[in-house]
Amino acid sequence: MSQYYDLDDIIAEDELVPAVFQVAANGVGLFDSSDETNKVEQGSRVELPFWLARELHLRQAVSISLPPCFNQKTRDELAADAAHVDLKNRCPYFYELGCKLFSLAGDKSIAFLLLAAFQTRYKEVLIKAQTAALAVAPKFLTILTKEEMKLYEAGQSSMAAFKKWRMGGPRFQKASVLGRKRRPSD
Amino acid sequence: MASPSDPHGSDFSAAELEFLAEDETIEIVPNMRMDPLDMTCGVFGPFHPQIATQVPMWLAVALKKRGKCTIRPPEWMSVEKLTQVLEAERDSQKSFQPLPFHYVETSRLLFDHARDDIPDIYMVRSLIEDIKDVRFHKIGSGLEVISQRTAALKLENLTAMEVNIVRPFVVRALQTFYKLDNPEITQESDTRANRRFPAANHGPKRPLKRKQTFGFELYTSLSGGPEIHELLTIDTRRTDNRYLFQVWLGFKVVGPALPERSGPLGLGWLDPA
Repeated sequence: MSQYYDLDDIIAEDELVPAVFQVAANGVGLFDSSDETNKVEQGSRVELPFWLARELHLRQAVSISLPPCFNQKTRDELAADAAHVDLKNRCPYFYELGCKLFSLAGDKSIAFLLLAAFQTRYKEVLIKAQTAALAVAPKFLTILTKEEMKLYEAGQSSMAAFKKWRMGGPRFQKASVLGRKRRPSD
Repeated sequence: MASPSDPHGSDFSAAELEFLAEDETIEIVPNMRMDPLDMTCGVFGPFHPQIATQVPMWLAVALKKRGKCTIRPPEWMSVEKLTQVLEAERDSQKSFQPLPFHYVETSRLLFDHARDDIPDIYMVRSLIEDIKDVRFHKIGSGLEVISQRTAALKLENLTAMEVNIVRPFVVRALQTFYKLDNPEITQESDTRANRRFPAANHGPKRPLKRKQTFGFELYTSLSGGPEIHELLTIDTRRTDNRYLFQVWLGFKVVGPALPERSGPLGLGWLDPA
């Protein structure tokens, strides 16, 4: 179960999901901007944020279909070379949304897709996080999703902290109130 | 014990590890006369000129700074020993050489404070750098084998600094793999796994499959997902002046599965005495 206070988890639910209204609904015309009657007809296609789509889906008011980041084209690209697909552009919360959709839509292939994609991309992140200098990184970083980005940062920051420590620098930092009367130590 | 000084970084900062490393003892040759120092952590001394004695690193450094002693570099810090270690490290792709748990920190401290006491310091320094690089490379290629079936990593002969550097990454990677490893998939691959290991999945105990790869023994759970808990256990034993370390880093598997040998849970350091 996801973390209630996890900000990323909340933002991930803001991703738009295509849905089809199974019933007509009054007073929600803003979903269907072409309409002046402030009403959504049965069978109209709208894009809803996931959190709303889930609730409506549970009440059987809408049916959900998969967002474009899980379409066949993306799947083909992921199957071809997952490490170089620009997932961030398609959906920065690819894995989170995928997990949520999986439990809702019951499409088993999503779970396999997510796992296979992460398995391949994980290795790339690992190599980059350990070796890449900061100058090389930016181009690679633009294709990472939020989740992979955090992973990369975890690896990168601990490595950078170690390198900083090894390079040295001031070993002791004096509190500003101290040291006025003392001779500078070596 | 350690407060995370940096929420995104390691649980210990490098400076904190250095602080811990200063508790290791080292041999010094004092050039002054002093009574034994009776301290909470032990009695050190008495100090007589030209008579070697064992003191903790922090005391050695303090005395050295005042010009009261020379530090004898530890046995492993000689050119021959380090050359041997480096060669062995390069030869075996599957295991790590046993080195002192705080070798990175100790060598840094000695290079900073006792340059004149180490023979062939340039050679020693570059050898240690090489060893460190080789080991880091091995760790990197070892971590590539993590997959959704990995419940924990057993890292043998890894030292404090190395574990500290990979910890945030490994923990996050394992968490993500766990999250993506849905129960539905698990069930499906369980039936696959059970075909290969028919007796594996009964009783409350989840057996773990052992795989020796790159010096990491991967404990792969055959069923169910591990509950997410960071677990780092360091099992420390001392046999004839050599440290034996086993570092556990991974998940606590809910149920009685994983840690039969795991010692204390959570973050903690055992005094290597």
